[in-house]
Order: sequence, then structure tokens, then C-alpha cells
Amino acid sequence: MKQANRLQRKFAAAALISVLAATALWVLPAGTAEGPEFATATDARGRRGTGYPQLVSVEPLPEMEADGEMCQWVPASSQTRLAALLQEQRPAASASSGSARTSVTLERPALRVIRDPFPTYSAVAVDARNNEIVLQDENLFQIMVYDRMANTPPTASLTEPKRVIRGPATQVEFNCGLYIDPKNGDIYSVSNDALRTVAVFSRNARGNVRPDRQFSVPIRSYGIAVAEASEELFLTVQAPPMVLVHHKYAQGKDKPLRVLTGNKTGLADPHGIGLDTTNGLIFVSNYGNVAEYKDGRELLRRDEDTVPGSGKFEPPSIAVYPLKASGNAPPLRTVQGPNTQLNWPSHLYVDEKHGEVYVANDGDDSILVFRVTDSGNVAPTRVLKGPKTQVQNPAGVFVDTVNDELVVANMGNHRATVYHRTAQGDTAPIRTIRAAADGLPALQIVNPGSVAYDTKRDELLVPN
Amino acid sequence: MAHAQIAIFARLAKGGDAPQRVIFGQATKLNRNMHAIRYGRTRDEIYVTNQFAQAILTFRGGANGQEPPLRIIQGPKTLLNNPGTLEIDEVNNEILVPQPASENVLVFPLTANGDVPPLRILRAGHKNGWTPARPAGGIAVDPVHNVLVIVGTVVANDNVWHTPHGDNRESLLIFDRLAQGDAKPLRVIRGPNTGMHTIRQIEIQPKGGWIVISQMTAGEIAEPEGTFVGVWSIHDQGDLPPRWKIEGKPGNGMKKPHGIALDPKHKEVVVADMRLNAILTFYFPEIF
Repeated sequence: MKQANRLQRKFAAAALISVLAATALWVLPAGTAEGPEFATATDARGRRGTGYPQLVSVEPLPEMEADGEMCQWVPASSQTRLAALLQEQRPAASASSGSARTSVTLERPALRVIRDPFPTYSAVAVDARNNEIVLQDENLFQIMVYDRMANTPPTASLTEPKRVIRGPATQVEFNCGLYIDPKNGDIYSVSNDALRTVAVFSRNARGNVRPDRQFSVPIRSYGIAVAEASEELFLTVQAPPMVLVHHKYAQGKDKPLRVLTGNKTGLADPHGIGLDTTNGLIFVSNYGNVAEYKDGRELLRRDEDTVPGSGKFEPPSIAVYPLKASGNAPPLRTVQGPNTQLNWPSHLYVDEKHGEVYVANDGDDSILVFRVTDSGNVAPTRVLKGPKTQVQNPAGVFVDTVNDELVVANMGNHRATVYHRTAQGDTAPIRTIRAAADGLPALQIVNPGSVAYDTKRDELLVPN
Repeated sequence: MAHAQIAIFARLAKGGDAPQRVIFGQATKLNRNMHAIRYGRTRDEIYVTNQFAQAILTFRGGANGQEPPLRIIQGPKTLLNNPGTLEIDEVNNEILVPQPASENVLVFPLTANGDVPPLRILRAGHKNGWTPARPAGGIAVDPVHNVLVIVGTVVANDNVWHTPHGDNRESLLIFDRLAQGDAKPLRVIRGPNTGMHTIRQIEIQPKGGWIVISQMTAGEIAEPEGTFVGVWSIHDQGDLPPRWKIEGKPGNGMKKPHGIALDPKHKEVVVADMRLNAILTFYFPEIF
């Protein structure tokens, strides 16, 4: 019985060897197990079938972008990674209390960063005495000083400024408002957000320098204008809506000389401010977002002083007040209505010499010009608008009456553009100061307060 | 800042890539201080506030240019008072609005429009005596575990810990989702070990019950130390450090995180950085 089994196993082994040998005899002449087609292909490339794996071709891997999406390699010995993995094993968060828990600090770079590396001009002023144009850059938080006649050639990437004030020591952040002292060239920079300061620099300041002087202002301060004869400095505050009047040489915690605020003032998210000292007038541009405030706090109102549910959207406007207005004074008159074409009116400039008010009309890519005597639903005297103008989301405007020029700070295209003072229609600028290569988009991300992910469109929503 | 807008970028955008579209201009009724923004997939809508005009704005998900909102919640019945942030709950069809100025949280139907009263009000004010904190802006809902998390600010009290920068948005208060009236929080996360101060936007990853916060530390300092993106559990309580955090440092480029959004599909956390004027995306598989 045992012998019969042994013979049976020998027969099975011999049969298996025969099958393997037959298969080998069929495969070797064919070149590969894939058949004659593949053999032909390999022969055509100068190779012969060997029955063994061969190098057929070399294809490089797709190039990895330096800041592209990829997992960071972390050594297995990394305590951070190990701890993270241990945490990861929990199906969900579990309860903890007390202070015994250790925190895992993750060391990893951002996969992607969306950021405009170039300046975004938010305000402009001309120092006619020193022949310079000064620009606020609200993207990189810097003040840039250019030669007044600078003109970026079409083929150049950008124009370098003569001087730059920039860095954490400068207290320049969300720098929206700008004033140049016509006597000595001092630069006044209004920070619009949490730094809550007006920083004053001497004309030749550069780099990461501390301001020569600064004074505290409320958060959301925006526009600035100065009455040189009376040495009074005017500021708008977006909300609670106010016009503050400080001594021009205020410093530290100095309180304002007077405040224009209250439900009768018509101030509604004020932005730009300009003065007509000849006729004793203040001009203020309003976005129109407003709520009522409780009575009894006429100086430096707070958010807590609003009446719940009283908010409303007013049409944008330019409100006109007496130069010495204070308290809850109503405007003398208001420019408001569909004929005005106002659309997010930002900074404004009052040209006293010619009796005109220039408005940087951010939402309409235009510069509007009104008479200082205008009132009600009036059309502008002139409108500068169109593709040739290169006006795009203008935030700042300045009239250089010495050189009879109009200068515009455009948030939307990295440019400051210069025109003859009376330019209108679709007129090209006579000079352009460009801060980035032609055609590069200006992202206008400024103080991004939050972010959301649109799961349907695979997009990021980024509000300023 | 000098220009309000909602810029919409492709998720994979980087560097100076242009936005796909931008919502801006007078007709949109947008304004600065949009300290929260939410996208709702169910209705394909975008939700933001207008703080100065006391309004909640709802836009079409694909809104573009100078497009007006679909709906506006505004008026005396709404009791809206300087709303700077909001949260939406798509499971229960609600909008939740914390109001530091009124020390309460208002809840509206997701489809509310016009001058409508809130469905319920959570009065989280210190005057009610149940907690030393009041709502301070950040808000997130977890409809799976049925909790509501709000960022709180302690009201001055000599007997409690105070942050080195002064008390401002340094606590997380965890409530039952349906809490209303003078309800007390279920749990409070607060203390020196948390490292929390001046939290801004927060969001919850319901799958794990993770609260993710962006911490700018101190708005009045240009480049403060101690900024981070941190993660706590909805079950945490007391003086606990975050489970995980990504600190603001030169190595990762983050300086002053102000906003935060979660992308569970790609396991990413998106950060709005107010000092860089930038959007940073981090791979963060630990919480997804």
C-alpha cells in the first residue's frame, strides 16, 4: 500500500515537471508571455525577448511644486508625529478636564499660500514742495515715496520708490489715511484697525523706524485732513460714526478738541474727509451703513451705545458741515441720489482754489468731481472713467494745484495714475506709477476677517 | 481697510493667483468687519453680516460682482445689534448671531428675510450671574452632538485669572444647542494653560467633536507672539492646553490668524492671516 502511494506521488511530480517544461518551450521562442505583438514591439526598439524583466522605458515623475499639495515626510522617531498618531487612534474627542494634558505642536509648513506680493495703494498725497508722491500700501503695510515725475515704462516690471517706511516698529498697519504737512513734509499715517493710532514720520524717514510722534484714535479711523491755519486735524471714524478734531500736534492719549457725532449728523459709515477753509466747510463721504445711537453719550460713542434693530442702509452721500461743527449737528446740505453716481465713495479731496470736490468712487471705478456748492441729487461736473483711464477700485485721490494734476491711488491694479487736473471721460493717464508687472492681478485682500470653504465649487470665500 | 469685498478663490489657488470672482460695491450692501462668513451647501448660499447697518446678508452661492443679496434680515424686531459674526446650522435650518454689544445670541430661521424676530435668544450676559464671561464674537454649532460653542470674554473680577494682554475673547463656552434665556454653559474652557487670548473665528468638526480656533493674541500689537490655530474637544473643560496646535512662526509663515475654515474632504484647515493679508492652507489630518 505504502509502495503504491509512493509510485503515485512520483508520477504526479513527473507530470508537473513535464507541464512546466512544455510551457517554457512555448514561451521562450515567443519572446514574452505577452505574445508576439509585444515581442515585435520590443524587437523594434532594439531589444530581444529574454524571458526576464527588462527596462522598457524611463518616464520621469511629474515635477512636484515646492509649495504644492503633498504630505510632509516626518521621521518615525518624531515624538510629535508619534503623539499625533496616538491621538489619532481615538475615534472621537473624549472628555478632559484639569491641566494635566500635554499639547501637541504640529511642525508643518502651509501647503499653499494665497498672497499678493506687491503693493496695493490705498491713499495718496503729493508733496509739491519736495516734488514727491507719497502712497499708502495697505497690502504690505508700508508708506512709499516716489519722485513726482516717476513714470513706469510699459516694458518695466515696476518703479522703485525713493524711500519706504515699513516694519513692525513703524505702527503702520491697515494704513488708509494719509496727509503730508505742506510746511515740512511730515507724513501722517492713519491706521484703520486695531493699532488705533495716527503715526507721524519726518519726511526722510525710511525703513523700520518708530514714528516721530503718534496719538491714539478709535478703531476704524479712516480719512484725514488738516486746517493748517488753525492747526486742527480732522479724522473720520467709520463706526460709531464720528468726525474727530484733534490739535495737529496731538500726541499720546490727547483727547480730541471736539467731536461731531449723533443721530442728526447724517454720518453713515464715513470715509473720506476734505476741508474748504475758505468757506469754512467740512466735506465727508458716507458709504451709508448706519444705526441709531442712544442719547446721553455725545463723546466717543461705543458699539454698545447703538439701539438694537435700528440699522439701515442709506444711499451713499457727501455731507457738508460747518468747519466748527460739533455734537449732534446736522449737515448744512447733502449730495445724495442716483444722479450723483456715488458707489462706495472713499477718500475725497477739496480743491479750494477751483471750488471742486473730487471723490474716489471705489465701487464704480471712477473719479467724480462736484462743485463745493452742490446739493441734493446732482450729477457730477466731470467723471473720469473708462478702460483707458486705468482707474480701478480707486481708494485715494489728490489734487496737486501747484502742478495742476490729479493723482489717483487704485487698489485694483497696483497703480497710481496721474492726469491733468480737469481730465474727464475715458482719458489715459499722463503718467503711471506701477508697483507690479503689467497684467498681474491685484488681489485686494486686506484685513481678511474670516474665511469659508464652498464645498460645492471647491472654492475659498475670503471677505475683507 | 480701504476696500470691502468677498474674493472667491479656487481651493488650489496659490501665490498671486487671481480670484475666480469678487462680490463688491454699493448694491451688495457689504461692509468691513465681516468677522465670519459661512457657506451653506444645502441651499447653495453665502451668509455674512453688516455690522454697522445691523443686518444679516444672504447671497447666492455663485454670486458675482455688484450683485445684491437674496435676503436681508434687518429691522427693529430683529434686535440685531452690531453683529460681526454668525454661524449657520444646516441640519436645523438656523442662523445664530452672537452679539457682544447686547450680550446675547440670537437665533433666526435660515431662510428669514426682512424684519423678523429671533426664534430664541440666549442671554449669556455676565449680568445674569451664571458665568463670568459674555459672548464675544466667535461661534460654532455642532449639530451632531447638539452643542453650541461661543467665544467669551471674562468680565473683570479679581478672583479669576487674567491674561497678560487683558481679558478679551479668551474663553470657550459650551452650551446645549437649544439653550435659551439665562442658560448656563455646560462647560467652560479657560485659563493660563489654554494660551487663549483674542480668539477670532472658530469652527467645529462634528465628526470628532473638535473645536478649531484661530487666535490672533493681540490686535493692538502688529506682530504679537503666541498666535496659533488650536484644537479642543467639545467635551473639554477647564484650564486645558489645545490637543493640537500650529503656532504662528517663520517656519510655517503664519503670523496673525484671524479666520478659519475646515475642509474635511481634503483634510485641510484654511487660515485667514490679517498681518500677511493672506490665506494659508494647512494639511491637518489629525482632526478629520
